[in-house]
Amino acid sequence: MAKTFYLEIVASDRIFFQGDVEHLVITAIDGLLGIMAGHEPLVTSLPTGELKYMVEGEWKYAAISEGFIQVMPDKAVILADSCELPEEIDIKRAEQAKERAEEKLRQKQSIREYYETQTALKRAMNRLKISQKNFR
Amino acid sequence: MANIREIRDRTESIKQILKITNAMYLISSSKLKKARKALESTEPYFYKLQDTIESVLEHTPHTEQQYFNRRSDIPSEKRKRGYIVITGDKGLCGSYNHNILKFAEQKLKEAPDIDNCYLFVMGQVGRMYFQKRIKSVDGEFLYTTQNPTLYRAGEIADMIIDKFSRGELDEVWLLYTDMVSSVLQETKSLQLLPFERRHFGKAKDGSIRKLPKASFVPSPEKVMEYLIPNYAKGIIYGAMVEAFCCEQQSRMTAMDSATNSAKDMIKDLSLLYNRARQASITQEITEVCSGANSLDNQE
Repeated sequence: MAKTFYLEIVASDRIFFQGDVEHLVITAIDGLLGIMAGHEPLVTSLPTGELKYMVEGEWKYAAISEGFIQVMPDKAVILADSCELPEEIDIKRAEQAKERAEEKLRQKQSIREYYETQTALKRAMNRLKISQKNFR
Repeated sequence: MANIREIRDRTESIKQILKITNAMYLISSSKLKKARKALESTEPYFYKLQDTIESVLEHTPHTEQQYFNRRSDIPSEKRKRGYIVITGDKGLCGSYNHNILKFAEQKLKEAPDIDNCYLFVMGQVGRMYFQKRIKSVDGEFLYTTQNPTLYRAGEIADMIIDKFSRGELDEVWLLYTDMVSSVLQETKSLQLLPFERRHFGKAKDGSIRKLPKASFVPSPEKVMEYLIPNYAKGIIYGAMVEAFCCEQQSRMTAMDSATNSAKDMIKDLSLLYNRARQASITQEITEVCSGANSLDNQE
């Protein structure tokens, strides 16, 4: 069996995952990052994106929105605003959110509003992407 | 006779109030249940966030980050202090609002110059209270404390950080009520900005600990730029959830005791009422009897 390390994923509304994993792949600011047991201490922030981890040889996917990860020699901690399994994602809601954000982007906005809408759009698209992955 | 009617009227009015307090009790207890649930699911995040940030900072190489800049060149009396105070939206919740307002007031007194204090008050009650006495209340800072959301916390965090980086604020404190246990609430203050490195590289005995330096991807500055707004958002959200839960808790307790004392009063009044009624009946009987007696005597 592959070497494992302890991973904790804490979302703002619940503890999403706690346990030993063999492999973790996150989307960092500048690309994908794989983490296995014995990784060097690392801190990085996570934009809205995809997350996968391997438990007993099986990949598990999750949609994550804005957070950060701290990898220490003994464990790794991910703290995020929200984290969802593909089957938990409400596709209708995500689609509506996407449409709403796109509609808003067509209108004139202040810079701050523009950034807010863009992150909202990103979240919605990420949710849709990951929920589709699940059904394939 | 007037006495009886007075007592009856009073009982009626107390009954009306009892209905209201009882309804408020029920509402707040159901809201509390929801708030408790939210608190329970947020608390791990809230504490984990504080712990993790602390340990991240321990491993951070020294960076010239603006969020760490203590601006120690500014003398104490010229520092612009911002206070985010979380109060309730409504009254009728026992000493909850009173406690947090008194706490904020005390913090303002401690500050060397009250004109350099800026208040960001969440909740209607606190805003009304401070607007009358202190000029530097941000009037556009309109946020309710009902049903806290991460989104609202994010907006607040963005605004505060923006003000801090533009030098409009040199220190930011968060004042809120912490739920220690279901019966014990405590007002708390937490420094949000600039970041304090309390334990940086030092063990309890004062010797310098050798900490493994963590690597930051892509760079410490980039990560911090991302991480700190996120941290502020998380902390504000956590405080909002705590405070909301406390408000509901104290409203429930206050309304419960109000309902109980209304019941007690009704009990006392109905005893008085019955006595007065009995007395008037007795009096009437005596009057009838003595009238009949006098008729008998005339014959």
